[in-house]
Amino acid sequence: MGITPSQHVEDIASAPESSQLLVPSSPLLKELWREAGAAAYGLDQQNFNRILYRVGTARNYGLEPGATASRKQQAAFFRGLRLADLVLAKACASGHEGAWEHFIAAYRQPLFRAAIAIAGSETLGRELADQLYAELYGLTARDGVRRSPLDSYKGKGSLRGWLRTTLAQRHVDHHRRTRRELPLDNLAEGHEPSAANPRPQKLPAELLLLAKAVVETLERIETVERFLLAAYYIDGRTLLEIAPMLHVHEATVSRKLRRLVAGIRKQIVKSLLGYGLNKRAVQEMLGADPRDLDLNLKKILQISLPDAFQEKAAL
Amino acid sequence: MNSNLQLDLHPDADSLSAFAEEALGAAEREQILAHMTQCSRCREVIYLAQKAAEAEALETLSAAPSGRWYRSWRFVWVPAAALAAALALAVTFYPRLTAPAPEMAKIAPQSEQAAPASLEQASAGAALKPAPVVATNSAAGGTPFTAPRRPPQEFALQTAPSLAHATKENYAAPSPSVGTVQMRTRQQSPAQFNPEPAVDAWLQRQRATGAIAASANTTQASPESMKTAMDRASANRSVPSFAPVSNRSMPAASFGIGTQEAKAGSAGSHGTNPPKLPSGLAAISTATTQQRALAIDLAGALFLSEDAGKHWQPVARQWTGLAIKVRVQSGLSGAVFQLTNINGSTWVSADGKTWTVQ
Repeated sequence: MGITPSQHVEDIASAPESSQLLVPSSPLLKELWREAGAAAYGLDQQNFNRILYRVGTARNYGLEPGATASRKQQAAFFRGLRLADLVLAKACASGHEGAWEHFIAAYRQPLFRAAIAIAGSETLGRELADQLYAELYGLTARDGVRRSPLDSYKGKGSLRGWLRTTLAQRHVDHHRRTRRELPLDNLAEGHEPSAANPRPQKLPAELLLLAKAVVETLERIETVERFLLAAYYIDGRTLLEIAPMLHVHEATVSRKLRRLVAGIRKQIVKSLLGYGLNKRAVQEMLGADPRDLDLNLKKILQISLPDAFQEKAAL
Repeated sequence: MNSNLQLDLHPDADSLSAFAEEALGAAEREQILAHMTQCSRCREVIYLAQKAAEAEALETLSAAPSGRWYRSWRFVWVPAAALAAALALAVTFYPRLTAPAPEMAKIAPQSEQAAPASLEQASAGAALKPAPVVATNSAAGGTPFTAPRRPPQEFALQTAPSLAHATKENYAAPSPSVGTVQMRTRQQSPAQFNPEPAVDAWLQRQRATGAIAASANTTQASPESMKTAMDRASANRSVPSFAPVSNRSMPAASFGIGTQEAKAGSAGSHGTNPPKLPSGLAAISTATTQQRALAIDLAGALFLSEDAGKHWQPVARQWTGLAIKVRVQSGLSGAVFQLTNINGSTWVSADGKTWTVQ
């Protein structure tokens, strides 16, 4: 590899000395430390404790922001972590030779395979993997300290899954960045109203009512349902692609989608009737050309969210 | 302004991968899902990560030797089922073939009683196997043994139930008990019956070609035992069988599974004819109630018939894995269908259309 990081595991923990949960003599800490195999990378219980503390507080022990975790909840959170992966990642980030040997043996090939699958070609995939691999080893220096993206791994998912997701993030960001750099002339035509096909300046009253009903209905639907609509209608994903994300069978996705669309239609009709329209007018209105509605469904589906994520995606 | 740019803050890779691996708690999962609803970038990331995971899983499966048995498991059941069906047939027919048949004396020609001594001695040991082998021997090019009262194809129908309905066309059955023997439809009048030379010639040919060397019990079969088998089998023509209608090269006994499953159903089978499924494939498992019938074809697709097997319609897949068995299960609320996939998981349905995991 050419570069041998000199940082030690003991240096990685910058968390406060005192832990809210664990003390070095805690039986739970000992158990977790043993389970993680931290000794193999020279990580003592005190530093292991710091890592756990940092991970726990960063994720608020898996609870909603602002909630206070009890000791039992904290213990359950720690038991749910991929401790072996976490220790390996931290040891690699700190430059432990043995950890790197293990990482290379276990993850190098999967990393390349994942990159090729994500990029869709071997050349691009290898380039993507090489780039990340170099970063993982700690080429990026900030304030004189070598930093590795592995340090941001918190052990909630598997390390392999984290690598795949990181690769996918890099690929998507690169794709979007290069797409944004396209000259304006190359942007898809027709997105903006042309002189020959001007957008209607003002919607008729009945279409406004319809638009209002659509917006109100979509705002009311649940998060999972909004996700379904976005994935299926905006992203154009197939049921087969959506199903694993929700951990359900594609038939379930299909059924949910069918019910959802039927429910939305029913709710829109109800809203329109509530506006004082009669049934016939409502039926006529539902037959309106959707292009006549000046609605941005993408925006409507993207309701503002709580400030859940305080972390930049790309390292 | 692109609405996706409104968020410069995204969940970190760990949260996204944990979401994909279903390792998050309810609160965190809800947060991620809510974010993904409005962030096409993170949706794209998850799609790609999922795609990579699937590709990796496929490669791991193909590379790992320990995974081979699992990958081939879906095909293992075919020979296993063939073996089981063969055993079931042997158990069914062995007592009938070995038991004396009083009615044989009436229909058997005198010449049969004067069979060669060697054949008579061997007849006691000749069990099930000679029957299908003796049925025809077109592969050897000789004169087939013909029954006095029935055409040979009928004999074949009875003695080899798993090959029933295949006699109108040559059927190359890979079953070891049948070997490469092909069946031929050939009518022969009782006046032409002369078993002794035919049997002798047949035995000589078989010895010469080694076709009957595999089992000592099958090499010397008396005409009595053969005729007993014929008549016994004739009396059991109602044994249901879902043999292929054409000469597909499928393991003969595999079609017996459908028979067994149909019999296992509380309401029995819907007849002896094989179901003609829209997929054109043979049924591997069927189950019927009063009017409804379900059948699984070789591709694992499920079909439903609501008119006792006359018309079939595909049933949307609501189960995971490859469906291999369907049967009727009696419950408190009446008979329900039960479907089993290759992993042994079961689903139940009252109407055959909507399935719920059991």
